[in-house]
Amino acid sequence: MLNSFKDKIGDVLLPGDVFSVQMPESITDSKPEKIVCGPGLRRNGDEVLVCKSGVLRHKPPNLYWIDSQQRRYIPVKGESVIGIVTAKSGDIFKVDIGASEQASLSYLAFEGATKRNRPNVQVGDLVYSQLIIANKDMEPELACIDSCGRANGMGVFGAGGLLFKVSLGLVRRLLAPQSEITVDLGKLFPFEMVVGLNGRVWVKARTAQQTLIVANMLESCENMTAQQRQVLFRRVADGSI
Amino acid sequence: MEVCGSSSPTLREFGCEQNLLSRPDGSSSFIQGDTSVLAAVYGPAEVKVSKEIYDRATMEVVIQPKVGVPSVRERAREQCVRETCEAALLSKLHPRSSFTLVLQVVHDDGSLLSCFLNAACMALMDGGLPMGCLFAGVTCAINGEGQIITDPTAVQEKGSRALMTFAIDSTERRVMMSSTKGSFTVHELQKCIAISQKASEKIFQFYRDSVRRRYSKTL
Amino acid sequence: MKDTPLSNCERDFLLNAIGEKRRLDGRQTYDYRNIKISFGTDYGCCFVDLGKTKVMAQVSCELITPKENRPNDGIMFFNIELSPMASPAFETGRQSELLVKLNRQLERCLRNSKCIDVESLCVVSGEKVWQIRVDVHLLNHDGNLMDAASIAAIAALSHCRRPDVGILGEDVTVYSPEERDPIPLSIYHMPISVSFAFFQQGTYLLVDPCDREERVMDGLLMIAMNKHREICSIQSSGGIMLLKDQVLRCSKIASVKVSEITELINKALENDKKVRKAGGRCGFAQSMPQERITALKADVSPVEMAGIKENANEIVQRAEAPSQSVPSPVLPAPGTGQVGEGLQTSWGLEEKEEEEEEEEEEEEDVQHVVEEQGRGDVVLISDSDSEEEEVVILNQEALPTKGTLSKQQRAADSKQQRAADSKQQRAADSKQQRAADSKQQRAADSKQQRAADSKQQRAADSKQQRAADSKQQRAADSKPQQKNKKQ
Repeated sequence: MLNSFKDKIGDVLLPGDVFSVQMPESITDSKPEKIVCGPGLRRNGDEVLVCKSGVLRHKPPNLYWIDSQQRRYIPVKGESVIGIVTAKSGDIFKVDIGASEQASLSYLAFEGATKRNRPNVQVGDLVYSQLIIANKDMEPELACIDSCGRANGMGVFGAGGLLFKVSLGLVRRLLAPQSEITVDLGKLFPFEMVVGLNGRVWVKARTAQQTLIVANMLESCENMTAQQRQVLFRRVADGSI
Repeated sequence: MEVCGSSSPTLREFGCEQNLLSRPDGSSSFIQGDTSVLAAVYGPAEVKVSKEIYDRATMEVVIQPKVGVPSVRERAREQCVRETCEAALLSKLHPRSSFTLVLQVVHDDGSLLSCFLNAACMALMDGGLPMGCLFAGVTCAINGEGQIITDPTAVQEKGSRALMTFAIDSTERRVMMSSTKGSFTVHELQKCIAISQKASEKIFQFYRDSVRRRYSKTL
Repeated sequence: MKDTPLSNCERDFLLNAIGEKRRLDGRQTYDYRNIKISFGTDYGCCFVDLGKTKVMAQVSCELITPKENRPNDGIMFFNIELSPMASPAFETGRQSELLVKLNRQLERCLRNSKCIDVESLCVVSGEKVWQIRVDVHLLNHDGNLMDAASIAAIAALSHCRRPDVGILGEDVTVYSPEERDPIPLSIYHMPISVSFAFFQQGTYLLVDPCDREERVMDGLLMIAMNKHREICSIQSSGGIMLLKDQVLRCSKIASVKVSEITELINKALENDKKVRKAGGRCGFAQSMPQERITALKADVSPVEMAGIKENANEIVQRAEAPSQSVPSPVLPAPGTGQVGEGLQTSWGLEEKEEEEEEEEEEEEDVQHVVEEQGRGDVVLISDSDSEEEEVVILNQEALPTKGTLSKQQRAADSKQQRAADSKQQRAADSKQQRAADSKQQRAADSKQQRAADSKQQRAADSKQQRAADSKQQRAADSKPQQKNKKQ
């Protein structure tokens, strides 16, 4: 099974494609290899079922997942997202993270917040936070502190900057370690960028013009090969756009 | 028992574009000859409390006719499409949420229901909704001489004595949904199913090609 | 579904950028987004892309009786559909404020401006006039729906052809497009709406606002104008105070935009005409972009037929035999009968038999027989005599006509017996014999022979022969039955 799976790495798979986990008879004596199914893959008895269209990716030693370009976010525990505060009710904030349900964020889940010292958050503000509860049966819950009570980069956004939406696939490419897109963009001019795994990106450059350039370039990166992207970036660097 | 004529049935040229609308989570247009349908899907999204189901997602299908307001015919087709989608989607994974599928008729030149199904499948795939299998719609018409015509045009549909549409699943090529009109024998029915199963292979291959093309730059 | 809320940061950025004369997509203040106009396969169907905003308009005509106070005028009807396809915030069948506003504005723009000669739509005064219905479907909402809708509607109206009518005395004939070429509507001028968004209490103005710009704007001014610089309608919403100069400046900008757009529509119409004249293909399918990575097209492809017949045959043959015993009828209430309760459907086999028997006879005949057969399965229990007689006809065995039995019971009994008998017999007899004999023989004979023969001959031959055969048989069959009945 692993062999057939390995052959398909980097290949496009469609929902309904099935891989059998049954080991060949000859190697039953060897220890059965474990695999970890990531997003888009499901175990179905002795088989692995693909349930999303996309490219099969593999991370050694045994992690497999489907890389797709969907837009709708599905909350996953531990992921960092950008949310928009939509309501204040009692001691929680309701936050829109683009999922099927609004997430709740306790006002105590900010660094240094106490019952007396409430964080200054208004409706419409952006928060960068981590999902601490996320499963299909419960309302997602956010926190702007890590387990040690530190902000660690999370919290309410300062003024300025622009928020826009891209596909979840592009977001993951941006967040990949040594992502080419991020490195190339960084060469053009300095800017701040916050990337939420829910497909929202916030960018702030020195001027509104530069912010818009970054935003538009990121949006156009969706369907570009590395070469096309480099050509585009070079043209921007030359100042022809 | 010669039911099938000499000319072998064909599928009209078909085409598809994915992700062509910016607002929905997934969208596609599917074209079969001159028949074309635009599909958009949202999900998993929030659901009205009145429609909430505690252990699975609520599937909603809306068909917009080109002229006028939706009538009984649209409602019947909505149900056909909805039941097919419900069977293909793994709605248990997103309880208390909604999947909304909107289908807009762009041009009707026969085989509209199968075009709905194909557009729906592409849109669901584009939206990244979890599916256990894909489905393809194939329409067969039996004309006065007993010939089976696959993917009939509106004129051929009019001249037919029986019209059948099947939704075929991608894993075992089973019939997920059938909608028939007119009279036919069991034998003709079986033959139409067999032809549809063959034809669906072409459509599934097309699905694969178009998704592969779409991801070709991120391989 | 709710729409994604707009964050404060987007609002502030947009307003600041507008102050700096910058827009999200790099446009200048007075720029329109790219407009793409294409036409559908049939007349009167138009698609407009305004940047990412997409709308589709379809014009249809119908003959109706006119309004009493205007017996000579045709009727224009506008309908905008806000389907959830365009935006998650839209719902079908709900009269939202936006919908009413758009519909009203479109009516004012196209009906009240009298751009269409409604008198020419009259067929018989006071009795028959054409109703022109314009359905505008919003497919994707990225701002400025009104302009896109007005362009689509007027382009669709100019593209539309209504069927020709002839009047002979009292009779009105509507000719199909094959008989007489349909005729275009007479359009005096083309009003086009141009939208201006105002920010900071009218300090800044933008043409053709996109969705996010619309969300932060203070007010909106829509001017409908034709290329002769005649204003057809003007509407300001949002409650901002505009100065006289501002309105005048807007009308000047509008006149420029309108002439550009009119030019574009005319060019698109001309293109479409040329393609149609040349007999080329047109429509949505043709306007699909080929070069895009998300689009793919497949050519006409034959479906492979190998093995299909065998497959179908096999399935039909493998179909389950009908159950030998028929359960007693279920009577939910007196006077009602129920079909197929707790019984596996046996239609598959019966129909197949029919097929073998009657094979290539006329469809009606087959259907008739099938119906009869079907009725055999249906437990009909009623008090009317005619029903019973019909039931009796099918029974070949001697009928237990004891007067002591109640009618219902009798029916039930006879049904059981008959069904069991006839089915067994038939199943045993006909299936083994006929299936073995006729099928093999026929398959062997007729296939070789018939394949060689022409189709027509074959049909004629077999029909005659078989019709003769079966008629004889049937006659022979039915005779004893009739005797039975007389007894």
